[in-house]
Amino acid sequence: MSAPFEDIRALIYRASLTLDREDWIGFLALCAADFRYLITAYSPELRKRMIWFDHDLESLKALLDMVPQHLRRHGTLLRHVSVGMIEPAGSPDCYTVTSTFQCLHTELDGTTRLYAVGRYIDTVTMSDGRVLFLGRDTQLETRDLGIGSHVPL
Amino acid sequence: MASRTAAQWQQPPAVPDTHYVSGNVYSDPQIFAEERDKIFGRTWTIAAHESELPNPFDFRTYDYANTPLVIVRGGDGRVRTFINACSHRGAKLVNEPGGNAKTFTCFYHFWSYNSEGACVGIPKSEAYDQVGLDPSKCGLREVRTEVRLGLVFVNLDDAAPGLDSFLSGALDTFQSVMGTGELEVFHFQRSVIRANWKAWVETNMDAYHTIMHVVLRKTQVDSTRVITTYPGGHLSTDGVKASYTNYKGWGDRSQAMALPGSAPDDLRVGNLFPNSAILIRGTVMRIDVLSPISPHETAVESRGIGIKGDSDANRLTRIKHHNQYWGPFSRNWPEDAYAAEACEKTFSTGAAKYQIIAREENMRGQDDGMMRVFYAEWSRRMGRPAHNPLNR
Repeated sequence: MSAPFEDIRALIYRASLTLDREDWIGFLALCAADFRYLITAYSPELRKRMIWFDHDLESLKALLDMVPQHLRRHGTLLRHVSVGMIEPAGSPDCYTVTSTFQCLHTELDGTTRLYAVGRYIDTVTMSDGRVLFLGRDTQLETRDLGIGSHVPL
Repeated sequence: MASRTAAQWQQPPAVPDTHYVSGNVYSDPQIFAEERDKIFGRTWTIAAHESELPNPFDFRTYDYANTPLVIVRGGDGRVRTFINACSHRGAKLVNEPGGNAKTFTCFYHFWSYNSEGACVGIPKSEAYDQVGLDPSKCGLREVRTEVRLGLVFVNLDDAAPGLDSFLSGALDTFQSVMGTGELEVFHFQRSVIRANWKAWVETNMDAYHTIMHVVLRKTQVDSTRVITTYPGGHLSTDGVKASYTNYKGWGDRSQAMALPGSAPDDLRVGNLFPNSAILIRGTVMRIDVLSPISPHETAVESRGIGIKGDSDANRLTRIKHHNQYWGPFSRNWPEDAYAAEACEKTFSTGAAKYQIIAREENMRGQDDGMMRVFYAEWSRRMGRPAHNPLNR
């Protein structure tokens, strides 16, 4: 069976649009039961990779359920994603997808600033004819995120 | 009358002078310039943690209040700090945030320096013979450096009192946590926020603002907080316990993960005047150091610290504990940054005139006494009262 390239690309783009809309339930529906979401950055200060966000599906759902109760920056995020490589991930029906992204923040007054750039290293799998996320490692180039935010990139 | 006129808005709050602060302390450019000299130019500050320089010739660079520094562990094991500027033409000498180098060579004319700051190489040096330029007098400018409990302190003032005199025992309460075993930085974050540096300091001293954080409302009771003050404007708090399971999706922290001398549910905070804070949440530690860039911009450096030699599983758990409250994707740190920037938006324009720091709870609970202690020391060092710094 050939790799479902178009379905994989559609998943990556759909995920970004879903996150942009803050449709958390919709995003979680794109993830397999054993999904893990990491945000990482390499620190040249420590000369180490750092983990800044690490959630399985259950803890991600708990985090997203609490978003309305938290104080956070106003405005919206917009993710511009470009899918690069789609490669077999070693196990059947699993693929590693490397994409680059820019995330832009628009304030309530309409001012837009670059928030973060980096790469999504996604692992996707086929399940019942659907492509789902098995893992996402958001590898940041940007380390100064200003006031930050606890919503996924 | 519920609202106030323009004239009434200019009037100071009807509380003692020590219990409010003028907005000018955040926004006035002359005050900012004086702070750089009278406070940041003369006090000890944390520049790094020793674990960032584990090996001989490891170095870190750090811009402290717009002064570029390079911190290096010498071949003799001693940690030294230098102004990060070449003696020749003043170019910034080291650009990498960290690394390992036996010598630093300036890109411009290849003058080079060893880890003790001595100038050890000047290309084509014979052309200086005529004017008698002595390479032994071309070393880097060394900055006083001391290490306590793994913290690397620096002071730009060669004449300032020593570190122990400056600290006045404020670190003693952290001796068991920080002085028992080796600790290690696993998280480093430098975030520039659009706020005056003191607005961030206040987030680590304002016990009342815990009401803003849903994580703190759910996980801790503040009435048990006990505040201790030290000479020189330093502070520590103890007595607060956290119930982590009260927040959706979080589990308890096990005793096995606790830092030395801590229970897993402890919350302890230390504030070192003017710009540093040590926060301990039982299993993990955070250290904040602030570097003012302008009256309206501050670089916040936050480090996450755990036990050196942790197993991979324990390190991952400690990182998760850290990231629950701290870091750019946490549920506490961004809210504090939001608050600091929100205050900046009004004080920087003069729209807001004063802030009230008048809560009195006998230095317990949510007493504003920590901020009053901070501003008393600020006023003493600046020679300006924080409630009326421009004498208007």
